[in-house]
Amino acid sequence: MNKILLTASLAAFMATGAVAQQIGASIARFDDNGLTVMRNGMTDHMETLSGASLQMEDAQDDVARQLDQINNFIASGVDAIIVNAVDTNATEAMSQAAAAAGVPLVYVNRQPINMDTLPDGQAFVASNEIESGTLAAFRMCQDLRAQGKSGGAKAYMLMGQLSNQAAVQRSKDFHDVIGMDMCNFITLIDEQTANWSRDEAQDMMSNWISSGEEFDAVFGNNDEMAIGAIQAMKASGISMEDVVVGGVDATQDALVAMQAGDMDVTVFQDLAGQGAGSIDTAIKLANGEAVDKTVFIPFKLVTPENIDEFLN
Amino acid sequence: MAETTHGIGGLKYDKSKRSWPNELNIFFALIIIVLIFEALGQLLPYMNGQSMLFDFNTRRDGTILNIARIKIIILQVSIIGIIALGVTQVIISGGIDLSSGPLVGATAMIVMSFAQTELVNGNPNPKAVFGEWAFDLPVIVPLIVGLMFGALIGGINGTLIALTRIPPFIATLGMFLICRGIAQWWTKGQPVSFPTESYAFIGKGMMPVVWFLMLAFVFHFVLKYTVYGKHTYAIGSNEDAARMSGINIKRHKILVYMIASMLAAFAAIVLSSKNLTAQSGMGPFYELYAIAMAVIGGVSLMGGRGSIIGTVLGAMVFGVIQSGFTYVKLDAFYQLMAMGVIIIAAVVLDQWRQQRAALRS
Repeated sequence: MNKILLTASLAAFMATGAVAQQIGASIARFDDNGLTVMRNGMTDHMETLSGASLQMEDAQDDVARQLDQINNFIASGVDAIIVNAVDTNATEAMSQAAAAAGVPLVYVNRQPINMDTLPDGQAFVASNEIESGTLAAFRMCQDLRAQGKSGGAKAYMLMGQLSNQAAVQRSKDFHDVIGMDMCNFITLIDEQTANWSRDEAQDMMSNWISSGEEFDAVFGNNDEMAIGAIQAMKASGISMEDVVVGGVDATQDALVAMQAGDMDVTVFQDLAGQGAGSIDTAIKLANGEAVDKTVFIPFKLVTPENIDEFLN
Repeated sequence: MAETTHGIGGLKYDKSKRSWPNELNIFFALIIIVLIFEALGQLLPYMNGQSMLFDFNTRRDGTILNIARIKIIILQVSIIGIIALGVTQVIISGGIDLSSGPLVGATAMIVMSFAQTELVNGNPNPKAVFGEWAFDLPVIVPLIVGLMFGALIGGINGTLIALTRIPPFIATLGMFLICRGIAQWWTKGQPVSFPTESYAFIGKGMMPVVWFLMLAFVFHFVLKYTVYGKHTYAIGSNEDAARMSGINIKRHKILVYMIASMLAAFAAIVLSSKNLTAQSGMGPFYELYAIAMAVIGGVSLMGGRGSIIGTVLGAMVFGVIQSGFTYVKLDAFYQLMAMGVIIIAAVVLDQWRQQRAALRS
């Protein structure tokens, strides 16, 4: 491995001269959907940059392997390292190894445990989870206002696994939004967990419908649950014109539901943008420029107006 | 108490010593649980005197029953209920099947790949697994593929248990992991979506309930009145005695596990059709819920005792509790705890009743 890296970096040096930036990246796993989008974002962005080269390694979800890869990168003299951590609790050792060798380190997508004590020359690139739920909830609030329901609207919320940070955060975001002056006309009838699952959300929504209470909006912590709610509402003959449904993730299924006029709001996590951002940050650090400890790549709101940008 | 008969018993029929069929107890428990929820509806201040099963504000179709709630109570347990029908047979035969949940995930992924439609909203299917040839196949293709896959997995389970004599717990635990692996490997974790209309019909609306009750009826009959059923009970009660009376234990066990896995595979078909998607994580904890339904329904984990009617009632208990929790707006944090308490209580009560019945005779 060392040898391959060494020859690769030598080749890169010879090809582009001494100014070339050599970046090593260790990705938690190559076969993960989301991470693949991010990884492609990195390679695509790399092609637009001249004079930099990227060496990508698959950590195969193995903490020990990932640390070995980082040490290999250091040994082969890369200018910066990008890590998508297998286990965010195991980042301390990586930070130390890189700091000791004086090599800049960029964490991407997964927040390292030692965020507060990150050494100089290290940074974290990701999206701010607070944005996703807030963006969706606020847009739903606007939609309800546009429908003339600002006199009072009722909503249900389907939460993800209660043990999951994103679920807790997105639920809190929704509460925060309907606590704002502009949106406090929305009252939450009930909130329950459907464990991210379309099937459980379908059953939960049917249960809510059976109580006979009128409602105007359903917020799912993710798209799957929002789609489950839509299926249950359609089965009960509720017109999707009358209900504002929001989710998070912008999955293919959700986009199709939005095209069909069933889904109103979802939020796209710009994973490719995160990948590209991590490259930019790594290059800046390698050039000795100052970089914020945390670099946020914004979430994008997806609505029927701009859905075409996200269909491929 | 017993003065005259010893040993095999039953020679002297005494009407006073005949106990109720177990199913009746579960039925009463079901009614009590409903009454508790109805009482909570009247007592809890924030419920505004709403009723769980009745609908007094007659905004709907004129019936006084809350049809929508009754529908969802049974709809939400039908799919796991179908699995529970198979699990019931496995447990009666003295075994256990832990692989049914992941088998649901794996079967759903595989089956859905053969049930995809070519165009979604006029665009090519963004989730296509295979090429052109696998689009818009007749619905019988995914059905057969799914049931065959179930039979294969069940056959392996049964063969392992019957021939190598490893404990069913271990064999099916291994299969649990294998099936979860297959589910993830099939599309490398990608969900499979957008089935044909005819496939979507299998799990549409109340169809899961229709399948559940139909299969329950069939297997009630099979267990009660056929040789297959009698052999299943015999093996579960006393395997040695069953062997000595000439039952081909090995063949029969394989058959029981095959039927159970085919039922789980069918549940996967209904589930993926109902949701119009298949995901590798589908069927989380289904194996445990299916076992819990059977156990609440009076199926003994020691084997040899239980019935399909009991399991159907056990499933209904689950459905009533689940809807009841939502109806009284019980916070999600407490639901799992309450569910756990109810499962344990059900089995403790049943054990206690069994012991008393044993003492009496």
